[in-house]
Parts: sequence; structure tokens; C-alpha cells
Amino acid sequence: MTTSDIETITGRYVNCKIDGKMHRIYFEEAGRGEPIICLHTAGADTRQWQHILNDSEINGQYRLIAFDMPWHGKSSPPIGWETEEYNLTTSVYIETILAFKEALRLDKPIIAGCSMGGRIALQLALSHSDKFAGFIAIEASDFQPAWYDIDWFHRPDAHGGEMGAALVSANIAPQSPTEHKWLTQWMFMQSGPGVFRGDLTFYTKDDSLLKTITKIDTSNAPVHILVGEYDLTCTPENAKQTANKIKGATLKIMPNIGHFPMSENPDEFRPHFLEALQKMKC
Amino acid sequence: MNVYEALLKIQSSLLKKQYLLRLGRFFSAQVLIQIEEDKYFLTFEKGQITSIAVNPEIKMPWHFAFRTDELALNEFWQKMPKPGFHDIFGLVKIGRAEIDGDIILLIKNLRFFKEVLALARNKDE
Repeated sequence: MTTSDIETITGRYVNCKIDGKMHRIYFEEAGRGEPIICLHTAGADTRQWQHILNDSEINGQYRLIAFDMPWHGKSSPPIGWETEEYNLTTSVYIETILAFKEALRLDKPIIAGCSMGGRIALQLALSHSDKFAGFIAIEASDFQPAWYDIDWFHRPDAHGGEMGAALVSANIAPQSPTEHKWLTQWMFMQSGPGVFRGDLTFYTKDDSLLKTITKIDTSNAPVHILVGEYDLTCTPENAKQTANKIKGATLKIMPNIGHFPMSENPDEFRPHFLEALQKMKC
Repeated sequence: MNVYEALLKIQSSLLKKQYLLRLGRFFSAQVLIQIEEDKYFLTFEKGQITSIAVNPEIKMPWHFAFRTDELALNEFWQKMPKPGFHDIFGLVKIGRAEIDGDIILLIKNLRFFKEVLALARNKDE
């Protein structure tokens, strides 16, 4: 092994109090400059962002930080998890991001979130826009009811991760390189029991943004929405309708891409992300 | 290639895909594929398709059914299908297919079933 084989990304842990309980949060980062907090989708983890974090052009200008949400990836569930039903809520999700931002003492970072991470980016744009420099909301809309039964993914007689991966593969564009299609699904297969379902509770049942989305003020911090044309969960039409409700928001529909742009097709996503970063300077 | 020919291609291709036969080794079920008025009953035994009955005169039982139209199925079988046509649940989401019956059985074997149905996809186009 040579030093050139070692990736730029480094991983560490930070301990934060969230919803009254201590959490050991795993995060990865790369680069120096204006901070960007990168949020993964439901049922996955920071690895979705590995290609963006390792991109020398991007990490040469920005400090990219991705963290595993509690219960996800290498972040632990809280003490007592064994008797707890994991159900993510908007308030706990916002508290988690603010606690992480505070723990790392990040001054007005950009938020870049995908899927449920994109949804919470819009919630933060609504309620905490003064704390952030801008919002890149990927595969994001104000609400998506489930088009499947979320209870399929947590049952004792089957592997929720394998079933979840098989379902979300519907959201991966056929143009995506085979290697990346399967690594994207691998993350879902490794998800802890009930975690994908618990994320979907937030994503498919909390419709609170429907009533408030028009109140987002982009004069404080820009909002740019990205959506893949093969996304079946948050379709281009869903994202367009959401963007139209936010005065000043911008939208980009990405051809040949599905619901997991950063991991399913990193090369195809890269120019769209660079463009989104330019939008954050407006 | 008509639907029956495509299903025959799937049946023979499956025998050459050892990893799929391994994934489907616990899958033994009757599946109804309905394309408009035509009904195709696929019998799976331990991952292999052991028979394909077309519009049988007698009533046949099935565990789950996948129903769509021929145009949608042909688009699904293209090398690069259009958005929504690229996945069986995509077809359901865009209103071009229905899945009913024992959906949990399908979901437990979803990767296997999706990949089996995609074996007729035109890879050389």
C-alpha cells in the first residue's frame, strides 16, 4: 500500500445529547473551507457521500462533513434501544442536526441532504435559515405518502434490509454503473432492524411541511432542489411542485439519475452538485 | 419476440444463472403474469420455472399476480427503459401494472423475482 491508496476521508466520533439521551455519532469529513453538512437518505449512511467527499476539486474548496444519523451506520442507537421502537420525527431530526452542528462548532454551514435529508433541509430552511448558508435539497419534496407498506421492512420472518434494498432498487436509474447500483443497495441491506421503517415513518407520514412550505424565505439562505428523472419516490413533478411553492427556490432535473444520485452514479451527479454549490453563493 | 417467447427465454436463461437459482432456492410458488386478456401461469419450484401454462381452460391457483399491458412490458424489457418502466414497482407507481395476492411472499423474494422477470431484457440493443 502506498499513501496514494489512502483516501482523503477521515472518520471520527462525537458525543451529543439528543432528545434527552446521549448519542455516539460517527462522522466523516474531507477538505477545508466553507463547511457543508451532508445528510444521507433513509435506511443508509454516510457512505452515500463518499464520492463527493473524495472529490479533490470539491474538497479543495469546502469542508465536507457527513454523519451517520443515530441508529444508522456506525452511530449507535441510544442506551435502551432494545425495548424502543425507532420512529424518526421532524423535531428530533432537526435537534440532531443542530446538536451535531453545535458539537463541531460549525459556523453557518451549507446543508446538502438527500431524500429524507432533503426533506429536513427544507424544514431547516423554514425554521432555522439564519443558522445555515444555504440548502441543497436532493430528491426532496414537501411530502411523499408511502406507495408501499412500510411495515414490510421490519418483521421477524424476513430480512428487512434485503427487502428494503430490493424495493428501493426501483429508484435507481438503469444507466447507473452496475458497481454503484449494488453498493447503493448494500447500505440498505446492512441497515439495522426497523431503522428503514422508522425513517419512513418520518418521510411518509409527517406532512407538516405541506402547510408551511410557502413560508420559506430564501432571502436568508438559498434553496436549490435537485431531482433525478428516474426517481419514483420523489418524482420530478413532485419536486417541481415543491420548488414552485418556495419563492426564489431553484430546481434542476437530472437526466439518467434516480433517487440516490451521490452513490448510484457519482460521475453523472458531480456537475449537478458543482452547479448547486454555485447556487449557494447567490 | 412475443410474451410467451419472452417467458420461454426467461425460463431457459434462469437455468444458466447460478446466483439467481441460489437466491431463489426457497421460492416455490405459482405466479400469474397477466398481459391484458392473456394469462400465463408460471410454476416455480426451488427457483426454477418448471412450467408455463398459457390461458389454461381449467382454473389455476396462484400466490401472487403481476398484471400489465403489452406495450408497458415491452418497454420494461428494453435495455434502457423510460422512467417508471424500468422496474415492476415502477410500472405499478405510474399506473401501468398491478400486483396482488400474497404480496409479502413477493417482497420476501423481490430481488429474485425482479431479476428473473428482467431476464428477457434486450441487452444488445
